[in-house]
Amino acid sequence: MNPERFRTLVSGILIVGVSLSATLMLVGFAASLAVGWEGSLVGAAPGTSGLADFGSMGQSLLAMRPVGIAQLGLVVLIATPVLRVAASCAAFALEGDRLYAGITLAVLAILLVSLFGLR
Amino acid sequence: MTIGADIGIFVVSLLAGVIGALAGVGGGILVIPALTILFGVDIRLAIGASIVSVIATSSGAAAAYVRDRMTDMRVGMFLELATTTGAVAGALLAAVVAPALLYVLLGVVLLFSALQQVLRLGEELPADLHVSPIAKRLRLAGSYPDARLGAEVQYAAQRVPLGFVMMAGAGLVSGLLGIGSGALKVLAMDGAMRLPMKVSSATSNFMIGVTAAASAGIYLGRGDVDPSIAVPVALGVLAGATIGARILPRLSNRAVRLVFLPVLVAVGAETLLRGLGVGL
Repeated sequence: MNPERFRTLVSGILIVGVSLSATLMLVGFAASLAVGWEGSLVGAAPGTSGLADFGSMGQSLLAMRPVGIAQLGLVVLIATPVLRVAASCAAFALEGDRLYAGITLAVLAILLVSLFGLR
Repeated sequence: MTIGADIGIFVVSLLAGVIGALAGVGGGILVIPALTILFGVDIRLAIGASIVSVIATSSGAAAAYVRDRMTDMRVGMFLELATTTGAVAGALLAAVVAPALLYVLLGVVLLFSALQQVLRLGEELPADLHVSPIAKRLRLAGSYPDARLGAEVQYAAQRVPLGFVMMAGAGLVSGLLGIGSGALKVLAMDGAMRLPMKVSSATSNFMIGVTAAASAGIYLGRGDVDPSIAVPVALGVLAGATIGARILPRLSNRAVRLVFLPVLVAVGAETLLRGLGVGL
């Protein structure tokens, strides 16, 4: 991969990630003004698990609750730099730059451990 | 949070984003004092909201700098080893540190950022192009197109181990306080590693998102990312920073800094005093 394409890829991931996340957060925020964070846009029962509990994001999304849409936006936002690092790692590997593929992989490992391993 | 408070948080975050962009600091560092002092938000929830907004603004800015070839991605990736490790340690430490200490630290970092703005008025180009063995091995040298000089400027990283250690410190502060700590990252690259200011700033922005993601995951897992606060803060700071970046080129840099520096100093002093228990 040439440096020019690498730069385009990295900047593309950042723009798409932030735009998608901002859209989801905006929709969730606007919807929360209408039905409240734990209300439902499709008339389901209000949620009870608390706003900061991301474990119930799937359920909240199925019930079209603003909190679920907002949580998904936040997850996409946090995932954006992680995806950027993963793409960089792949690009360095394709270039045959083993040193930097290794460095990037180590950063990716730290990020994944912090996301899934530590509380 | 009630709906009225949500909108209030959005408006205040928008202002923090605009002022942050004009003053040359991130929005997060201003949003935490605003949320805690104006809205009485628990400082841990304010930090959880801020760290998320930091990812949004830095990723947006980084996308532009990466295309303009201002960002040195190898320098960034190498130093991210230090900042992410520091950020994880900082986020874990934040759970056990007394809130008063967090206020004191935040105030100190704010005042330091203001001081750095005063000191950086002259942007010199690096003179030393000596490439040390470690910089050569890691390929921490390159060039960038300088629009003002109309020329390609060469640079090589100096004092790499010192820069790496300072970056770990910047990551620790970022994770502990939920801010981008761009001022400390720039200090490590521009001050210790003698990289050009423009490359330091662009690369710092590139790294801030990844550094923040490392601690954001921990805050999220701990239940400190409350969407009713984090969403209006992220949307507000992102919109504010975008507006700020648009107006900035139309204003004289020096004039802008002189207007907004006192704001940084005032917020920094207020935050510091609050931590010391003599809040105004």
